[in-house]
Amino acid sequence: MASVTLRNVKKSYAAAAVIHDVDIDIPDGEFVVLVGPSGCGKSTLLRMIAGLEAITGGEISIDGRVVNDLEPKDRDIAMVFQNYALYPHMSVEKNMGFSLEHRGASKEEIAGRVNWAADILGLKALLQRRPGQLSGGQRQRVAMGRAIVRDPQLFLFDEPLSNLDAKLRVVMRGEIKRLHHRLKTTTVYVTHDQVEAMTMADRIVVMNAGKVEQIGTPIELFDKPANLFVAGFIGSPAMNFIPGTLLADTAIVGVRPEHFEIAEGGLQITVTLVEPMGSDTQISGKVGDTDIVAVFHRRVAANVGDVLSLKPIATEIHRFDAAMGLRL
Amino acid sequence: MRTDLSPRIKLALYGLLCTLAIPFVFPTWWMVTSSVKPISQIFAFPPEIIPSSFDWSTYADVFRLQPFAQQYWNSCYIAAIVTIGTMAVSSPAGYAFARIKFPGANLLFMVVLLGLLIPSEVTIVPLFQIFLKWGMINTHWPLILIPIFGAPSVFATFVMRQFFIALPVELEEAARVDGLSRFKIFWTIALPLAKPALAAVAIFTFLHSWNLYLEPIVFLTSPEKFTLPQALTQYVDVYQGPMWNIQLAAATLTALPVLIVFIFAQRQFIEGLAHTGLKG
Repeated sequence: MASVTLRNVKKSYAAAAVIHDVDIDIPDGEFVVLVGPSGCGKSTLLRMIAGLEAITGGEISIDGRVVNDLEPKDRDIAMVFQNYALYPHMSVEKNMGFSLEHRGASKEEIAGRVNWAADILGLKALLQRRPGQLSGGQRQRVAMGRAIVRDPQLFLFDEPLSNLDAKLRVVMRGEIKRLHHRLKTTTVYVTHDQVEAMTMADRIVVMNAGKVEQIGTPIELFDKPANLFVAGFIGSPAMNFIPGTLLADTAIVGVRPEHFEIAEGGLQITVTLVEPMGSDTQISGKVGDTDIVAVFHRRVAANVGDVLSLKPIATEIHRFDAAMGLRL
Repeated sequence: MRTDLSPRIKLALYGLLCTLAIPFVFPTWWMVTSSVKPISQIFAFPPEIIPSSFDWSTYADVFRLQPFAQQYWNSCYIAAIVTIGTMAVSSPAGYAFARIKFPGANLLFMVVLLGLLIPSEVTIVPLFQIFLKWGMINTHWPLILIPIFGAPSVFATFVMRQFFIALPVELEEAARVDGLSRFKIFWTIALPLAKPALAAVAIFTFLHSWNLYLEPIVFLTSPEKFTLPQALTQYVDVYQGPMWNIQLAAATLTALPVLIVFIFAQRQFIEGLAHTGLKG
């Protein structure tokens, strides 16, 4: 286990800067999720921590040791890749024990560690199979087994669930989290899925265009987004941004879909879509040119074309500076 | 082939395919059947598709008139060494061009590829002078060294490079995290996965060496040093006319390993080409 520190970390490809002065402190044992839209630089940052990508400026330390110029093998890390990167010509057992074998571990030690990991991940029956003979979820587990077998200081996950179907993703999410609780190894996890980030992270780093927009616990980010980008990115459906003029305010007002009530004196929205989801009802509508989405944790009798009066719950509104988009 | 076709259409399709196959199969059939015919029957009109008599003595003559077993061995061992040597040169070269980023890599690769455009007839005289200086005339060295460092190896390097480019880079990154050096990544991860491409290279190279004709006739002078394509031309009568039936018997024996290689390795061969993007 180890702490990880990023100080003014930069990355450029020729003249194009893709990571701008990133500062992150990850304490020992924490599960940190880097989240952001495609192309925001989160995977590049993870690869820089891994040593697979050279850094242009700044400093990366793992357990107090600057690792800028160290090869990945010397950083004592393990990484799980998006496409698992299992060696197709080796059995599950060989895949899991491969790094130990190349680090000179004895056969007994390799067998012991592989069996320990296989036991944790329920892979015992699959040890002699090749990756091609496994399902997506099983491959994912083997990739995790390969990572934990070496007992590294730091786990790095690069969108490991994006190749799985929705149901399996939820199952594997739980498994990864349980594994972290058990091993308490510092983990950096990259995803573009904010639900994954919210459910798994001790802390979330929201990135956009190579910059860190906000770092905080899932609840902090949800309750107190630092700016319009974070407010819009965290939460599903996304937060509504209502021009202040509609609510007699000078700022942009952010209201989460679940923070509306149907009451007199609210925004008069014309319903454009009603989505009943059993326990919830999602209603989309328009007020002037502004789109509004509201979610009610009950059934609402509304039809397309109806006019509803939606009133933001006063204690739950967020206000953002119209010029800079920062939280007020 | 689609399985929902009616039997009549299937029959028609098979008939068409068989008809189209005739121009390709006929020369082989002609070679094999003519090797057991007396010379007079080979040129008989109308031609005999199925020989009326079988004269197997032509096969004994193949070995009686020339040191054919020695020549067969020469071809076998030269082709084997050339195949192994070419794979040994082209796989690391292809890997380097696919994976190692260095200034001018693409330009250098283009220059290497340009070697394929130079006909061997153009370089044969300077090569002769070089091997003469090295005292290698009438030895098998030119037939080994020229393909390993010449056009077949360039082509093999191209095939290997295309394969390695298509190999997911994450496999190598995982190996880097696992602690492997560049060479070990190549040796334990990339190369074992390149078996289909290596098989394609092996078949191409083996056939190229097996069929090599210009170089043997330039560099070899003693019959016991000859390789098979050169040996085939030596079955002539006292007037230098070809002894067709004996020549075709020798040609049949020469074609045998090629047929065997194709029958047993055709799947690997096609897979290899498919992997390297050379086919569809």
